[in-house]
Amino acid sequence: MTEQGDNPFLDVPALLERSVPRAQTRWVLYAGGGFVLMLALSAYTGAQAAGGSGAAEAVSAIGMIGLVVAMGVMIWRTARAVQREQQEMQAAEELIQLRRWDQAAMMLQSMLSRPARSLQARVQSLIYLAAVLARYHRHSDVVAVYDHLLGMEIQNEPAVRALRLGRAMSLLQEERLFDVDRAISDLRRGGGAAESGGLALVEIYRDVKTGHPQEAIDLFQEKLPILRRQLGCRVGDAYALAARAYDLMGREQEAACAYETATVLSEEAELHRRYPEVAALAGKYAPVVRPTEAP
Amino acid sequence: MISAQAAITRLRRDLTVGSLVKWLLLAGVAFSMVIETVLDQKVISGSMALAAVAVVWVLLSYRSMKSTRMAAESSSLIAAGDYEQAEEHIDQALRGFSLFRAVKLRSLHHLAVLRHAQRRWGEAVMLCRELLGQRLGMLAGLIRSAQLILADSLLELGDVRGAYTAISGLYQQRLSLAEALELIAVQVDYLWRVGAWQEMMAGASHKVQMAELMPPPKAARTEALLALAARKTGHADWERWLMRRVELLADGKDLVRIRPVLAELWPG
Repeated sequence: MTEQGDNPFLDVPALLERSVPRAQTRWVLYAGGGFVLMLALSAYTGAQAAGGSGAAEAVSAIGMIGLVVAMGVMIWRTARAVQREQQEMQAAEELIQLRRWDQAAMMLQSMLSRPARSLQARVQSLIYLAAVLARYHRHSDVVAVYDHLLGMEIQNEPAVRALRLGRAMSLLQEERLFDVDRAISDLRRGGGAAESGGLALVEIYRDVKTGHPQEAIDLFQEKLPILRRQLGCRVGDAYALAARAYDLMGREQEAACAYETATVLSEEAELHRRYPEVAALAGKYAPVVRPTEAP
Repeated sequence: MISAQAAITRLRRDLTVGSLVKWLLLAGVAFSMVIETVLDQKVISGSMALAAVAVVWVLLSYRSMKSTRMAAESSSLIAAGDYEQAEEHIDQALRGFSLFRAVKLRSLHHLAVLRHAQRRWGEAVMLCRELLGQRLGMLAGLIRSAQLILADSLLELGDVRGAYTAISGLYQQRLSLAEALELIAVQVDYLWRVGAWQEMMAGASHKVQMAELMPPPKAARTEALLALAARKTGHADWERWLMRRVELLADGKDLVRIRPVLAELWPG
């Protein structure tokens, strides 16, 4: 992604500022006020009815009908806008899952450049933004997004835990090791830390990055059943990091085996992109090549 | 626990009551206009009558919104495996009054999703059939989801023909990614039952890529069935590769338990 003059692409501070939901109560107040005004007007004309002011009554009736229609149109427009926002969010999520990063980035840039319609939509969009930024290795921006989200006091505990994990991984990519240790300690203090595959992966990566391959291997072997159960195909990431740890220790046979296993589940290039340390194994150990399409 | 039949009866009754209330309110609005413009306002002012209708409408809409929120929360509870809590939310949403059809229909859909997750296939089938028999209008997403749940549940019950009918209409529709993933899983599960091994292997790379996005148990099941298809069609390289992948994701024994046909790949 390139920067475009004064308007840089995925400018995180600007997107965080622009996406804040606008207060939605104003039009409701106007409509409510208008309704009360019409009522008062109608009551007044009703009281004057003895005077026989037919024109005033007609104006009052037309005004009331107009107000009801206007409120209906406004509700319909709001519902349409909310629906459109939800469709955009779903599209962004799908693009991320399909790894169409450029398209996802464009969509998020557009979505977050205007006020979100709800807090929930904004939170979700920012989570997607963090995923896209991580893909582009803009880890300091990822940390900024996660810090912003964690500052929002989200009440959903599993979601907060996932945010903390994402933040810890980005801190690690940024090599802010002191902050990583603190983030990992925080995650360990939370409930279910021993059963978290995500946390185990972060810790294995931390050990590989800081040159503690034996610890990484011990943790990998201990947590493999959890990693397998929770991460699905992403357990390949853990095998790739284990391969790197074995390689650092000079245990080449085990490294080759772990590398091969990792590439059964994930493409080699994808693993190298996610973990630059694993790229050092390219050419040294043979990956598993996916079979060509069956005729 | 809500029985499927009781939920369906309640839905039908609530939809009728909801429609009736809505028509009454609309009649109230029309009546207010008539009072305001035509009749003498000495007894009751048209504006006051309209205000009363508006207040009732707002209150009932608020109650409906509460039901919507309640039902919406059940999705994440089902995803997290907290079925008991999800059941409670859906029960409350189904019992609560709602002015809008969509709220009730969504609640019934959530119940179908829950029963499917609980592997109570018969009830899931009943609920989906009821849902598909309703006028769903703008809720097209619900139709697709109900068709997929119906097809999967029917396959589990051994009704291959019924499953085919349920999914055949989906191929012409634009699906979301989640729906496309579900369709691939159901399609693979259907094809082995009719012995269409060649068709299973068609676009195998794409199917594997999509399986990677599924939850681990479903991904393992789909890839295991593809491995079996690879064996049946003589694609030894695919069979080896897929079996290795599956063994990294799940235990062959567990897969054989849910799909005994896989014993050919993981005997004993």
